[in-house]
Amino acid sequence: MANEADETVRKLSSHKGVVGVVVVNGEGIPIKSTLDNHVSVQYAGLMGSLIDKAKAVVRDLDPTNDLTFLRIRSKKSEVMVAPDKDFILIVVQTPIE
Amino acid sequence: MSSMSDRKAELERKKAKLQALREEKDRRRREKEQKDAEEATQRASTAPGHDVRKELDEILSSLGVAPVKDVLSSLSSMTSLTPPQTASPDASLPHTDKSSLPPHGAAKKPNVLQVVSVQSTDIPPKENVTYTKQTQTTTSSVGELRDGYMDDWWRTRKAHATDYYDEYNLNPVLEWEDEFTGDDEDAAFHGKLPPGILPHGLPTVKEVQPAVTAVPQEKKEEEKEKKIRELSNDEKQTIMLSAEFQKFISRAGRVIERALAESVDIYTDYTGGGDSESAQDDKSDARLSLVRTFYDERWSRGRCVTCLDWSPLHPELLLAAYHNSDDAPHEPDGVCLVWNTKFKKTTPEDIFHCQSPVMSATFARFHQNLILGGTYSGQIVLWDNRVQKRTPIQRSPLSSLAHTHPVYCLSVVGSQNAHNLISVSTDGRMCSWSLDMLSQPQETLELQHRQSKAVAVTCLDFPHADVNNFVLGAEDGNVYTGCRHGQRAGVAECVEAHAGPVTSVSCHAAAGTIDMSHLYLTSSVDWSVKLWSLKENKPLYSFEDSSDYVSDARWSPVHPALFATVDAGGKLVLWNLNRDTEVPIASISSEEGAAFNRVSWSAGGSLVAAGDDAGKISLYELAEPRHDEWTKLVYTLQDLRNNQTDEQAERLSITRNALGHSLRLEIMSWLTT
Repeated sequence: MANEADETVRKLSSHKGVVGVVVVNGEGIPIKSTLDNHVSVQYAGLMGSLIDKAKAVVRDLDPTNDLTFLRIRSKKSEVMVAPDKDFILIVVQTPIE
Repeated sequence: MSSMSDRKAELERKKAKLQALREEKDRRRREKEQKDAEEATQRASTAPGHDVRKELDEILSSLGVAPVKDVLSSLSSMTSLTPPQTASPDASLPHTDKSSLPPHGAAKKPNVLQVVSVQSTDIPPKENVTYTKQTQTTTSSVGELRDGYMDDWWRTRKAHATDYYDEYNLNPVLEWEDEFTGDDEDAAFHGKLPPGILPHGLPTVKEVQPAVTAVPQEKKEEEKEKKIRELSNDEKQTIMLSAEFQKFISRAGRVIERALAESVDIYTDYTGGGDSESAQDDKSDARLSLVRTFYDERWSRGRCVTCLDWSPLHPELLLAAYHNSDDAPHEPDGVCLVWNTKFKKTTPEDIFHCQSPVMSATFARFHQNLILGGTYSGQIVLWDNRVQKRTPIQRSPLSSLAHTHPVYCLSVVGSQNAHNLISVSTDGRMCSWSLDMLSQPQETLELQHRQSKAVAVTCLDFPHADVNNFVLGAEDGNVYTGCRHGQRAGVAECVEAHAGPVTSVSCHAAAGTIDMSHLYLTSSVDWSVKLWSLKENKPLYSFEDSSDYVSDARWSPVHPALFATVDAGGKLVLWNLNRDTEVPIASISSEEGAAFNRVSWSAGGSLVAAGDDAGKISLYELAEPRHDEWTKLVYTLQDLRNNQTDEQAERLSITRNALGHSLRLEIMSWLTT
């Protein structure tokens, strides 16, 4: 079953334009990553706090609502974050073309 | 020998040198000590405070503040005005202090403010700790030295100091801060002090505290960081093996993949003019264009596509069943993939597999999560996309009660509340199943023609909205019609349709104002596709355009006169009966010339999927159909029938003529002989 996770990560990272994939657990520790260790730790930490904040925003606006997905589009890249109860999946991609 | 003596001499010389060096060192040290001692005595005899004061003056004047001497003199005159306070007991001190302060406080205010700001910037807090302590311990000597001023000044100060100590002794918890709380009190105190020496007592206590608290915080942070780094591979592995993680990764992976596949550029700028789409206003519905292909390197390579089906609930989902691959003997024989036509991702939405090649597959129409497969071994298998496993969650037994031959036909018929899965195997057994129980079929029906020969069924279809009557295609080239229920359940009629095995049967699928459900198409390896009506046992028309095995033929679900055929030559052909019956309206060849095995229309009728024998599915798009086709089709069919009768009449007349001719010839020859 673990190779299914591997497969998913491989699948995502082999996608055109994808720079890196990081899976973060609830404590903000990267448990799977295609990036360098310090970069993934950085992403895990920063995105973890951003997700917490975004969740708080969504819940404050509507208590019955919940955050499901986060996309951060910047000049150089796009970060897609799929948060869950216990884990966070982060994918960094650079725009194709 | 001489060298030995030389060396000895050298050693001696070196020793002597060393001795000299040592002596020199000793001498220097002694000199230094002496000097130090002299200096010390000098310092003791001459007033060291004077020097200090000079230095201080210099520093202060450089900063633009009046020299210490001036301030001191002014202070001493001030303090001389209030001598009785010094003697007052400590309990009343703060009060008396306060009351006594305003006069000189008011007089000195501008000066005071200046002085405070300079001090706070000048002196680092660390040094203050030691300094204040020293002032308290060394005051006596310093005080003696600075006679008049110091006495005066220190009298008030001492009162405070003793006050502090007494209180401290009584109540050790009390600190400076507790004593000097009020702002005005503070200011007053400052005003009384000479610049540069005493007020340090105040900030020191305050500033030391944050330093103490800051250290453990940093430590905590460090610990945290360390903790983050600690996570062994084993721990990671256990996390990755947990069910929650599996669930998460499959869900989040899908979402991200879809998001990645989205190539819509939301920053498109139309104001820049851009390249306007070239006028491709080709109004003909004949235009077929390849939209995309579905292919998975691991799961579909080298596997023949055996069945295609579209999800009734999610029209973008395409289910494809695959045969085994000779190249991958270690992979499961049977594979079912669910492809998504909506998102432009290249991988299948779901992957299912089982031990035997899947010959037919269908979405369970009324259960959105279930997928059914009929296998070469005869098993019916059931997959569920809600569970995190790719193998079937249910399978029928391989027993004489169910199928023991390949199941080429699978179909869910009925309504939401009463529906069955119908499966037919090549030994002519038709089973009907309840999806809740695959351990045993609900009904079985032996399909035999004339009570003797079992029908080797290769394809099956039910007319539109019919659950009882069915049409079968068989290996012997015949087409059989029958019904499931009633007294005469089973095969009723047989039509000799083709000269080779029938590869597909397709009943008219479009629902419209005029009932066309009696029409059906058959395709065969005899290179032909035939159009039939259930009402007649003769073909309405035979399409013989193909030059290879025709492997599938399907009616469009929306256009009444449109159907698609695929052949082993890798050609997808579209026919529109209203336009032309002899020439197809569109034809497109597969990439790489692979043989097409199956074709399927999307529910909307705008997409055609064609699966080939190499495991690739090509998705084609065609233009929207028009809506005046129904009545037109009626006329077309009438024309076809008329043509048929005309042809027959012609053929009859030809034979009659021929007969007459031969008869005449015979008579002639008989007459001549």
